[in-house]
Amino acid sequence: MQALGQKRVRFQFWNLQFAICIAAYLAILLILTGHTAAWGAVGCDLNDPDRDVARLFPESTGYKTHYVSIDRKGGQPLLAKIETKLGDKFHGIYETIDVPYTIYEIFANKKKIGYIHGVNQKGQFGGIQVFVVLDLEGRIRGFYIQKMTSKYAGKLRDANFGKQFFGLTIKDFELYDVVSGKASGKVDTIKNPAPEAEADFRAALRATKKNLILMDEFVYLPQAISSNPGGPQK
Amino acid sequence: MMFKALFVCLFLLCLANEGEATDHLLYFEAQGIAGYSSELNKAIFYSQNPNAEMQKPSIGFDYIQRFSGESGDVATLAIQGRLALTVNSERESVKLEPQIYNAYLKAKILEPYVWIGHNRPAFGLSSYFDSHALLLRTLAIEGFGYDRDWGVGLYKDFSWGDISASATTGSGMPIYFKGNYMIAARASYGVLGKDNMNLGFSAGYGNTLDTMGYKLLTPEPQQMKLGGLDFTFLLNRFENRFDFLAGTWLGEKTYALFYRFGVNLDQEGRFKIEAQPAYWRRGPERDFQQSVCFSYLATSNLTVRLAYFYDRTENDNRVILQLYYYRPVSWLSKLGEWFKK
Repeated sequence: MQALGQKRVRFQFWNLQFAICIAAYLAILLILTGHTAAWGAVGCDLNDPDRDVARLFPESTGYKTHYVSIDRKGGQPLLAKIETKLGDKFHGIYETIDVPYTIYEIFANKKKIGYIHGVNQKGQFGGIQVFVVLDLEGRIRGFYIQKMTSKYAGKLRDANFGKQFFGLTIKDFELYDVVSGKASGKVDTIKNPAPEAEADFRAALRATKKNLILMDEFVYLPQAISSNPGGPQK
Repeated sequence: MMFKALFVCLFLLCLANEGEATDHLLYFEAQGIAGYSSELNKAIFYSQNPNAEMQKPSIGFDYIQRFSGESGDVATLAIQGRLALTVNSERESVKLEPQIYNAYLKAKILEPYVWIGHNRPAFGLSSYFDSHALLLRTLAIEGFGYDRDWGVGLYKDFSWGDISASATTGSGMPIYFKGNYMIAARASYGVLGKDNMNLGFSAGYGNTLDTMGYKLLTPEPQQMKLGGLDFTFLLNRFENRFDFLAGTWLGEKTYALFYRFGVNLDQEGRFKIEAQPAYWRRGPERDFQQSVCFSYLATSNLTVRLAYFYDRTENDNRVILQLYYYRPVSWLSKLGEWFKK
């Protein structure tokens, strides 16, 4: 709270100490930014896991939080596999190889009953966050858009919109082209409740497909059993 | 002492168990700050003041650990520290300063979450808005309250909003026991992540110390009796944040307010511009500040911020450039694995 109380002095160019400080920090940053081409980012967490898990999984009694990244799970080959399944390249700040994905493993007492997983996705006005609630077979039993600042967010967050995703699996989303936005099968029946927010609607569908592919690789596929989240049920 | 504590923390984090799926997150953080102050007529290497904790050239870490039982998570540990370089342009002195930001253990006890350690007091916008990497300052960063304080707190979220309370030392970054304390509580309406708005009402009472960073400015605690109102509203690409407080702060009648308007200029939120007027009055002192900040997320790890600050009382025009680097690390864990071998 004290005033700065500085006296006026003649302009001085950076002295040696200052120059050394700046040079050292710039060097650190340059080394770090050049350290690897694999960029990292912040993951996608539920704002309030206790409240949200109880709402999305009413029969749950607890949850465990796990962090998984493509980088640690399988590296570049896994990223390439995921991109092939998605039908699009991972790009931008939300889709780097070392993004730590947060997987909530849901329990009813000591019995595992499902998962909640969210991803960040580029939307119309910045990032959106799309969570899917999955049973142990990978079937969607809940759909939740957390972050979305569009004025049409209410329509896309509406329960009736989310219900259109119930029962769908990764197999259904294999028929959805995230680049062209063309779909067939069950995904084609999902109606956009806000035609004015077509960009966010398509972003939500891309995010859902990405989400399901990641969960398939991290949890459901047989080789994923080595990781804790997809480990055999006790 | 602090330096050793910070180093020990970092070393222990290196030993954290790693696997394909983990129960913790570890981030590395580094930032460079350089600017110019017209009042000093010098280059400066801090955003606010050499004694203030934010922002300075620094390297640090951010660590979150979940503890789980057979049927779910039971607690969370958060530790965030920096080794900051304080370059005092006036005295032309340089010193290293270890800093602790988050240092708390959080657990759900009965209904609410309860935390103990160094965390955000339950007052105003700063109780939920993380400024530790930003150039623009909240009222707490300006010295009206504490961005983080030592003590205990609790909070509970509801479908309509949340309530929180804290009992802390009223000393900010350092710990002192001079009869100082701060009790604060906040209730808010709206879930920001769902409703895109949050309206909060705060109240605080205590005897608090005047500190700046780790420096104690006055030896004795002084009365605090504050009420506050804060509001956040997000719509499309626009962000609005407002914070107001009034009452007695450090023994003087005080009121302070700021409004921050931000625009996300692209679909990923890489480019952002923010403007913030702030005004406050405390006893006979009053000040008006105007600041503008342009942020560019150059990569998902590196953010470049360029800010301009005008301070009417100091008649200071200041330009600050910040390079802020933040990334999840695995090489540190590999170092830990090497140590374990």
